[in-house]
Amino acid sequence: MSGRLPGDLERTPLPVVDEPVVQVAPTRPPLTSGEWVRRNLFSSGFNGVLTVASGALVLFFGFQLVRFVFVSADWSVFQANLRVYMVGRFPEDQLWRVWAVVFFLATLVGLSHGVLVPRHLTRRGLVLRAVLAVLTVGALVYLVRSPLVWLLMAVTVALFAVGVVAGRRLGRRLLRSLLVAWLLAFPVVVLLLSVGDVSADQWGGLMLNVIVAVAVIALSFPLGILLALGRRSSLPAVSWFCVGFIELIRGVPLLTLLIFGRFVLILLMPPGLTFAQLVRAIFMFTLFSSAYVAEIVRGGLQGVPEGQYEAAKALGLSTTRTMALVAMPQALRSTIPPMIGHFISVFKDTSLLAALSFSELLFTARRSSQAFEFVGHQAEALLPAAFLFWVIAFSMSRWSQRVEVRLGVGER
Amino acid sequence: MTTPAADETMDVPADGEAMIVAEDVEKWFGHFQALKGISTTVRRGEVVVIVGPSGSGKSTFIRTLNRLERHDRGRIVVDGIELIDDIKNIEQIRSEIGMVFQSFNLFPHLTVVDNITLAPRNARRWPKPKAEAKAAQLLERVGIPEQARKYPAQLSGGQQQRVAIARALAMEPKIMLFDEPTSALDPEMIKEVLDVMKELAGSGMTMVVITHEIGFANEVGDRVLFFDGGLLVEEAPPDVFFTEPTSERGKLFLSQIL
Repeated sequence: MSGRLPGDLERTPLPVVDEPVVQVAPTRPPLTSGEWVRRNLFSSGFNGVLTVASGALVLFFGFQLVRFVFVSADWSVFQANLRVYMVGRFPEDQLWRVWAVVFFLATLVGLSHGVLVPRHLTRRGLVLRAVLAVLTVGALVYLVRSPLVWLLMAVTVALFAVGVVAGRRLGRRLLRSLLVAWLLAFPVVVLLLSVGDVSADQWGGLMLNVIVAVAVIALSFPLGILLALGRRSSLPAVSWFCVGFIELIRGVPLLTLLIFGRFVLILLMPPGLTFAQLVRAIFMFTLFSSAYVAEIVRGGLQGVPEGQYEAAKALGLSTTRTMALVAMPQALRSTIPPMIGHFISVFKDTSLLAALSFSELLFTARRSSQAFEFVGHQAEALLPAAFLFWVIAFSMSRWSQRVEVRLGVGER
Repeated sequence: MTTPAADETMDVPADGEAMIVAEDVEKWFGHFQALKGISTTVRRGEVVVIVGPSGSGKSTFIRTLNRLERHDRGRIVVDGIELIDDIKNIEQIRSEIGMVFQSFNLFPHLTVVDNITLAPRNARRWPKPKAEAKAAQLLERVGIPEQARKYPAQLSGGQQQRVAIARALAMEPKIMLFDEPTSALDPEMIKEVLDVMKELAGSGMTMVVITHEIGFANEVGDRVLFFDGGLLVEEAPPDVFFTEPTSERGKLFLSQIL
């Protein structure tokens, strides 16, 4: 029949049934731990089964892990190679240089911590730190036998503590000097570790990972900002170049870039001009990282409302000042979380240098496990390396979260 | 488009020099013509109120005066300097014109005092003590001296808009543009902003104000410009325009807002 509505619209309204009022108990926090367990772990039969099954799995693997770590594992491969894990084949009689760097950085980190990180600590945080401290000291008692090293570690901790106290006392007016100190820190450290009776070729172990990561982060951050600005440029040549560069770099695996740096880059350079392997690796790594930084910064800039640019322009600020004083500070603040995530990736990716036979931490760990007397102990050789990566990456993450809280106060 | 009869009744100082001269200003957005030939002159010390329905081009017009929008045809002369494409020329004109926006557009990452001193310190190269003394004086003037160290997000809308006015005044502009300064405010905060604007008008500032606040327009406005469809339809003193507009479109508009 014509003129009729489609079936679903023609349907007569559903009869409305008065529903009985359901008495809902007001939600309240559970009173006893038994009640908490019942509500959260055994709220239905199926959930109960899940709880029991996953609990059993966690217990089983937890037990296996604990048994491995404390009973069946033989950590002597790590114990014997501890120095190599940390600094590679850095000459033993020059280790004072490394300790000088450690003291310097401990003080600087302590001061920054005192200035930037809120002193407020929850009870849980305190307990967590106490447990970590006991575990660390326990592991060190097992690993470190030399009284001299114990003394040096104690000095390091003391310098950090002094730094924290001094940083808290002096507060934010220290901020500018700290910034200068950090900017100077890297060249000072590199000089200290490479001039005189040592050279950069002898760097290795965790020290090499940290140096490469810091260099790449410090170089790619400004380069990435420039690329992000270039991408937005009104000059087509500049913006096309930046887009092309970013897309090219992001489309290639990092390992490929590093291999390119090792074998191909040399062919492209004018004859007679050579750079150390490490410099070329850092160069390629920096290009890689800067493309990612550029995209993170671009995202941040897109979050700055148009009204901010208009207000700055209307005040007579030049385009450069508008960018530097108004847009970029807001953009960078909003990109702290992804930026730290990227920097953590950079640190972890330094392990790819193992594929180029740099004696960084992973490479060192693998080679230690190949020594005749440690055959069959690959796990004990590799796990400490993984653990060291995790400790540093996790510390970066936690520290950045607390700094973010401090920087974000009232500034949204 | 100017109503000649109205000109004689205006209480504008007739000898006042022209601060803004717009001649036949046109503006397109793609194929849409937002301004269809606007000509008017704003004299020193004059308070000009612009009214009109949304989309009438009033906002576009005042944004061409400090080059937030580039006009496509016609001439704009501000304080004797013609607006041309040269960026130095544009920055010079912008530092002579203060602008207050509907949505405040304060810089959220800076404190109130840093918002106010940013432009004087960076565009005018004032030393910090001079800029901060000026900021303190302006905050006193807009009635919130105690908020100097707070961030914009910690202030009410009315307080934010007063900071925005102080920020614009810090560059010691000769002209102030207001683009619906009270439209985003809760009703109880409108008065505090209008009071600051009235004080400013009383001090002899040359002002161009887009607003629907008839009371304000009547009290301090020297002249009303009525925009509709990209045209300057009617130009008259406020008491004349708001009681007996001559144009049909003006009558229609008033019947809608009153």
